[in-house]
Amino acid sequence: MADNLELQRMRAKVEAINALPTVPSNLRKISVMLEKPRLTMDEIARFVANDPALTTKVLRMVNSAAYGFPGRISSVSHAIMLLGLNVIRGLLIGISVFDLMQKNMAGLWEHSCACAVAARCIAQQKKMKEPEEVSICGLLHDIGKAIVMLQFPSEYEQALREAKEKDISLFEAEKKYLAATHADVGLWLAQKWRFPANLVEAIGYHHRPQLATQAPLETAIVHISDSFVRAKGVGFAGDPFVSTIHPATWQMLQLSDDEIRDILTQIDESTSAAGEET
Amino acid sequence: MRKISVDKLEAGMVLAKPLLRGTMVILGEGTALTETWISRIEDMETDSVFIEGAAEQAIPQEEALAQLDRRFQHVLDQPHMMALKKIVKEHIEGLYGG
Repeated sequence: MADNLELQRMRAKVEAINALPTVPSNLRKISVMLEKPRLTMDEIARFVANDPALTTKVLRMVNSAAYGFPGRISSVSHAIMLLGLNVIRGLLIGISVFDLMQKNMAGLWEHSCACAVAARCIAQQKKMKEPEEVSICGLLHDIGKAIVMLQFPSEYEQALREAKEKDISLFEAEKKYLAATHADVGLWLAQKWRFPANLVEAIGYHHRPQLATQAPLETAIVHISDSFVRAKGVGFAGDPFVSTIHPATWQMLQLSDDEIRDILTQIDESTSAAGEET
Repeated sequence: MRKISVDKLEAGMVLAKPLLRGTMVILGEGTALTETWISRIEDMETDSVFIEGAAEQAIPQEEALAQLDRRFQHVLDQPHMMALKKIVKEHIEGLYGG
């Protein structure tokens, strides 16, 4: 069992990510920018516009099937207006950890994108006002895994191996080798990058949705999306198992069979579309 | 049946659901699409249509269902998870034309 000191030490290390030599420079730049207390829309727009490769990636993502505005967003400013600053922050982080994910856990990106699609679908079914923000919660829920692999590679290697050998979930195995889980790490980072409370909670409590106090609905949605994506077998998040959906979450969301079928179909369509784009 | 985007339509594909404009049926279920019909559909600014037939799957159905069983092995004792599994199973069978 980890004690508080170990936890604090781990948190301090995670929060010092900008100083880590092995952190990719694009992630570092975005991390530094997002920490700023009064970041404006203009600053973000300019940051992206100064990097043509990043602009292309952002536009490709916002125009993909995952966001429901296929082919209609032509500039980053337009994207910010339509989707909001939080969604763009989230996309920038997502894009900058893509390489890390591909390199260190093949299938994690696909799992994350599918969660983004499922989360957005459920948010729309529940007539939420900002389904794209909920989608970003889905996209980034496992970002802690990418950062833990970067900062604590040997511990995570062991956790992955244990999960595989003992047929248990990675979430369980992590606890043996690390003072905190990938969900905790994701929460710390989301706070560092000044994400709003709903995103912080959805990332931090996606395995234990009953702990969410400020955003129980978004957290519930990410929790259930994670299970649905695992149920469908899309991508790989460290173990192949379908995690139990917390009964209270199942009750809260009250998804009908048809709604679930719709979610599965949308996941399917987005993965086949993504396959064609890459 | 499967839903495909309009830019992937090919002559010979058969509509699995009627193509509607409002409540008016433009093309009925079972219509075999020709190049002409495909251009009309493109003009309509529809994003996708349902066509007959299953998409090609990377692995055989038996393997897909065996993998489904493996994925759910830790939640067999939970009724709501088994209810979910049933829906996913039917969804997978649907992908194979079932």
